[in-house]
Parts: sequence; structure tokens; C-alpha cells
Amino acid sequence: MNPIIMKSLGFAALLIIATLAVVVQMDIDLSDSVNAIAVGGAIAIATITSYVTSLYISKMKTESTTGELVDENWDGIGERTNELPSGWAYIFLAVFFWSMWYGLIGYPVNQYSQIGEYNEEVLAHKAKFEKKFENADKEVLQGMGKSLYFVQCAPCHGNTGDGLSGKAHDLTKRMSKAQVLDVINNGSNHLGYAMGMMPPGMASGQDAEDIAAYIAGGLKGEAPASYAACTSCHGADSKGNGGMAPNLIGYDNALLTHVLQNGKKGIIGTMPSFKTMITPIQEKALSEYLQSIAQ
Amino acid sequence: MFFHWLEKNPFYFALMVSIVISFAGLLEIVPNFASAARPLSTTTPRTVLELAGKNVYIKDNCIACHSQMIRPFKSETDRYGKYSLSGEYAYDRPFLWGSKRTGPDLHRVGNYRTTDWHENHMLNPPAIVPGSIMPAYKHQFTNVADIETAYAEAVTVKNAFFTPYGPEFKRTRKAWEAHRPKVLEDAKKIAADMKDEGVKKMIANGEVPEIVALIAYLNSLK
Repeated sequence: MNPIIMKSLGFAALLIIATLAVVVQMDIDLSDSVNAIAVGGAIAIATITSYVTSLYISKMKTESTTGELVDENWDGIGERTNELPSGWAYIFLAVFFWSMWYGLIGYPVNQYSQIGEYNEEVLAHKAKFEKKFENADKEVLQGMGKSLYFVQCAPCHGNTGDGLSGKAHDLTKRMSKAQVLDVINNGSNHLGYAMGMMPPGMASGQDAEDIAAYIAGGLKGEAPASYAACTSCHGADSKGNGGMAPNLIGYDNALLTHVLQNGKKGIIGTMPSFKTMITPIQEKALSEYLQSIAQ
Repeated sequence: MFFHWLEKNPFYFALMVSIVISFAGLLEIVPNFASAARPLSTTTPRTVLELAGKNVYIKDNCIACHSQMIRPFKSETDRYGKYSLSGEYAYDRPFLWGSKRTGPDLHRVGNYRTTDWHENHMLNPPAIVPGSIMPAYKHQFTNVADIETAYAEAVTVKNAFFTPYGPEFKRTRKAWEAHRPKVLEDAKKIAADMKDEGVKKMIANGEVPEIVALIAYLNSLK
């Protein structure tokens, strides 16, 4: 072996020793495959680079040129007519055919799409989610509803559901007197109940005041005589006539579903529809949670 | 031979090299880019009031803490709604994607927040969202939004970029005076859902408070 290669192998050995010194000094755990591969790679690179470099350096010293000199020369630097190394030619041909395939078929037909990946992710999650919570019990749904509440509802209704002192509907109670009066005076027709529109002015003056106070008080005690006007639609028990009209005593699934789907516009302000933001299972969960904080 | 000429002209040589190495990119990126940048069929140019609100958004530097770009990840679409498409920004000059989310993304805030919420929130954010570090923007209730500049902006983008504003958008004072009541009408509609009396009084006097323009803009983000 010639002295240049010997020297370079010595240099490689030095690099390997330095690498091992780092391993020992920094107490690197080689049982971790990532560390082992990194150290192995460092050693391989040091050895191969030193060897190949020295090989070419020694070649430069001994080899002479072959082939004919061409006519053109550039500032005295000429060129010889040698055959292209066959390996290069094969690589060139392979790349040529690959690029034809990639440009005409590979990229246009199979191109990656971020939206496609998103759609797959959502579909996979949806299937998993629906399977997991298909028969979820009340407690699980309430837990899910609670976390949903903090993301979607709490920004307006507050963390405790109290409506931030009148800035949104107070979810711990059914309705305040002002809210009932507003509905009696202006009617209501946007929740999408089967009963349809509640016309404005079903009661007026003292009658309306009495009804509002009675409903805001949780329908306790003797109902005012004028309350009969309400029961014809909201049911004799005021629970909404089996889902035909809103429940006046408390929250039920029908009421919460109607509000989440259609939004609500009342004396306090406007609540947007959450139709696109939550799935049916999430809607059920939210409604379970809201019923639990109203009690 | 041709390459002799090319080798003696470094500029054209560099040009040819650039074309050759960027050929695949030109073929694959440019057409896709051009089609994605077209406005969606549902994208409409902003009204003058919304443009004024957008300028308030820029002036008060909302972009420092809020992005307007919902990425196609499930965790984001769950919270903010459908992912954003590039065509939706076609009429935004400049676009306000933002790059920092100290606060939440606002690209679809019009779907889940309403005028009355924004009114309460701008007055005192921590009272509405516990733990919020957003400062109050009370000055927006008294500052006057520059709807005239917003109109000029609409006319400019109409002429320069062919943004589809109607034929009534002209470069004359008369056209602006004719359009002004429409802007005030839009502002009145927003103010009808607000509680602040000062805001309503300003609009009755023919001035649009910044908060009204900003809310109009935020409500239009859907």
C-alpha cells in the first residue's frame, strides 16, 4: 500500500478515536438505536471519505491521460475525447425515463394533496369517534359536553354558564322576566319548532307581567288565569307538548337542539347557529351537560 | 456552433441555465398557483364599511396577535370551522394571514361571534374571556373611521386590479356623495344590535365610529 493511503487511514483512525472519545465523555447511551446509528454513521463517513480522497490523490500522482486532444481549447486548457463511463450513461438514461414517467404520470396523477390528507384524517377520526361514543352513557356525554362547552359556549355564556351578568343568556336558569316579556311582546319564530311561529301580543299589560313573573319564578305556586293562553301550545305541564313547542320549565334535548341548530335572537342579543361547528353526538353531549348545570 | 455563442455571453448563458433548471417548477407550480389564486364563486369584494373596518384592523395591529388562516388540520377545523382556501383572499389587499396566534384565529369569526359579543368584548376582554390578555379597545367607540379613504381604496382596486365593484364606484366626489348614505345605512344596521348610545348618536351625525366598521368587517369574515 502506498504512503498516501496509509496516512489517510491514520487520519481516519484519529477521527474515529475522537468520535469514541465524545461517546465516552458525554456518556452517550449506545443501546438507543438512534445513537448507535449516528456513531456508526460517523465512523463510516470518516473511513470512507479518507480512503476515497486518498485514492484519488494518489491517482493524480501516477495516472496519465488517454484519448485524443480536441481542437477547441479554453485559455490553454484542453479536452480529450474519452468514452462516457458506462455507469454515467445508464444513470442518465434511468433519470431520463424516470422524469418522463414522473412528469407525465407520476406527478399529475398521484400528486399529494394537503386537503386529501385532511379529508382522510377527518374520515378516520369520525369513524373512530362514532364507534367509541355510539352507546356512551350519561356521564361520558356530560364530560364531553363540558369540554365542548369551554371551547364553543364559554366565550359568551361564561365559564359557569351564568351569562356574564346579562351579556348572554343565563344557562343556570330557564328565563328571566325581561326575556319572557320580550317574547310575549315580540313573538318568536326562529327556533324551527313544529308548532311554528308564536305571534306577538298573546297577552298584554298586567296579564303579560303576571305570566312573565310566573315563568321566571320557575312556574311555582298558583298559575295566573291568563297563563291558560300559554298552555295551549306549550302543553298543560308547560314542558312543550312533547317537543312541539319550547319547554318553559327547564332545558330538554329538543330545546337545546333547536337553539344549537338555528341560533337565537332575543332581547340580550344574537346567538349564531352552531350547525357547522358540532356533530350530532357532540350536540347530544352538550345538551346533557347544559341540563346538568341548569339543575 | 450554438454553444460557442452561448459560452461567450454569460448573461444569456445564465438565463438559459435558469430556464432549464426551473423548467419542472414552471410546469408544475405556476398553473396550480394561477388557478388557486382565483376568487371563489362565493367570494365577493368587501363593502366600503367593511374596508374601513379592515383598515381599523390594520391600524390597531390586530394581526400581531390574530391570524386569518385556518389550516387543514382536524384540531383547527374543529375549533374555527372550515379550512381556508387561497381564493378567499383574492380581494384582500393586503391579505392579513398573520403568523402569530397569541389570540385565536379570526378567519371565520363571523360564523360564531355576533355584534353584541364584539361590543362587550372590545370594552373589556378579560371580563368576557377569563384569563384573556387582550387589551381593551375603548378608543374605537369614539374614534371616527375613515370611510372616505375606504371608498377611494375600493375605486382604486377596481381600476387597478379589476376587482368587481359596481359601475357606481367612480373616481368623482359626486359618486362618493351618492354612495355615502349606503355606508351609513350599513353602519346603522350594525349599530342597531349594539347598546352603546354614543355610537348611535355618531352615526346619526353622519360619522361612523371605528368599532362599527370593525364589527362589520369581523362579521364579514365567514
